[in-house]
Amino acid sequence: MTARWTYVIREAFVGLRRNLMMTVAVILSVTVSLTLLGASLLLSEQVDLATDDWTGRVEVSIYLCDDRVCPAITPEQQEQLREDLESQEVVSEVFYESKQDAYDRFTAMFADQESLIDAIDADILPASFRVRLENPNLFNVIADQFSPPYPGVEEVVDQREVLNQFLRFTNVVRTAALVVAAIQLVAAGVLIANTIRVAAFARREQTGIMRLVGASNWYIRLPFVLEGVFAGLIGALVSWGLLWGTVPRVATSLAQDIELMPFIGEAQVIAVGPWLLLAGTGIAAVASILALRRFLDI
Amino acid sequence: MIKLQNVTKTYKRGADDEVVALDDVTVEVTKGEFVFVVGPSGSGKSTFMKLLTREQLPDGGEIWVAGKNLATLRSWKVPVLRREIGYVFQDFKLLENKTVYENVAFALEVIGRPRREIEKRVPEVLDLVGLSEKSRAHPHELSGGQQQRVSVARAFVNNPRILLCDEPTGNLDPSTSVGVMKLLDRINRTGATVVMATHDQHIVDSMRRRVIELEDGHVVRDQSRGVYGYGG
Repeated sequence: MTARWTYVIREAFVGLRRNLMMTVAVILSVTVSLTLLGASLLLSEQVDLATDDWTGRVEVSIYLCDDRVCPAITPEQQEQLREDLESQEVVSEVFYESKQDAYDRFTAMFADQESLIDAIDADILPASFRVRLENPNLFNVIADQFSPPYPGVEEVVDQREVLNQFLRFTNVVRTAALVVAAIQLVAAGVLIANTIRVAAFARREQTGIMRLVGASNWYIRLPFVLEGVFAGLIGALVSWGLLWGTVPRVATSLAQDIELMPFIGEAQVIAVGPWLLLAGTGIAAVASILALRRFLDI
Repeated sequence: MIKLQNVTKTYKRGADDEVVALDDVTVEVTKGEFVFVVGPSGSGKSTFMKLLTREQLPDGGEIWVAGKNLATLRSWKVPVLRREIGYVFQDFKLLENKTVYENVAFALEVIGRPRREIEKRVPEVLDLVGLSEKSRAHPHELSGGQQQRVSVARAFVNNPRILLCDEPTGNLDPSTSVGVMKLLDRINRTGATVVMATHDQHIVDSMRRRVIELEDGHVVRDQSRGVYGYGG
């Protein structure tokens, strides 16, 4: 048993060394595709994380009239609105956000864009009731009852709709990254298949003898498959290392600028590793086996 | 040991051009025989040999080798068949980057034999072919005759029941050929069946063994203790 494995592994490394340039090309190609794949997986993680956080925080905003669009809400109307909201069964919590609160939140959100802040008056943002629902899907119950002409209400906005727009955008980015990663992965697979075919061709004398002395099929092929898998594995490890080296840093520096949402960290990058290794070795194994299927037939 | 029953093999050359390599060939070789297969180039000798190792399948007829029906043999069992057959090539087909010892050991290594067996068996076979002293040499350091003896050692190291030799003396001069033939004869005397395709009239005439002559895919002569041509 041990003698067999020594042979198989030794042959795989002989192939890698003899074909060094191709090996490097394979590793680079796998690295690029898996880095993209990993990045898009991590982007998904990031979106999920932010979404969970936001859906727990915002649900429905009821903007109040301030003479701009409709006559300003009176204190009595405002008190009545609060009572009506709190009496609803679907409502779990109600907060009041004053004009000043809204402005403070706005300036915090765009702290690094002074021109934007300068352009906005403290007075221009409307006050609102922010309502959290027992079940976020029951938005219509609130919208139906409290939309204008309900006295003193300018507009009822489902914040999840805002969130959904953001999610649609990130989904496009994520899908694009995944598509590019998939194309790259296929390209890497083709390159691996070609490399293995070249390697098999270079050793056709040896494999020809092996066939005639009765070596089993897997014994002839396994060194070549291992050669591909090993290159795939190295590529996966490099891409994992790249993501590990960059993503947590980027997330940390973003987290300093944007306090609104949580960011992924090292834990998620580590967790994505096994998938990269699986994808890298898997694609290499499949490509190698397909490349050898006709070439080394008995 | 080897039996061909009404075997036909044709090759397609282009859309409707066919070459008949073997046409309705029936031959039986029993255990321990030494058989020459002779005939001009293109007579079907190579096809005959390739069918026996199941590199190719016949279009018609049945082939039995070492008790196996090659037509129904599963492809994953083909390696098992080939372990019963040693094969010697005209051009030796030794691996240049391996020593004599490694070339012979390779045949056992790749069929997963334990190291202890390899270390015992390889020197025995190198002794049989008279190359014990050259075990550390590389093929390019040897003469043609020596290389062919390494090739025979590799074919025989697994103790196959059948030895197939495809023009083993084709690249050798006459005096060297005699040495290789003596070696094949000795292997035959250990009980192995030897089938040798050859052009070499001199060798066939001097050995006086069974001769099967092929011409245009037919067996035109099957003679025990024969010579190369009728006139010989």
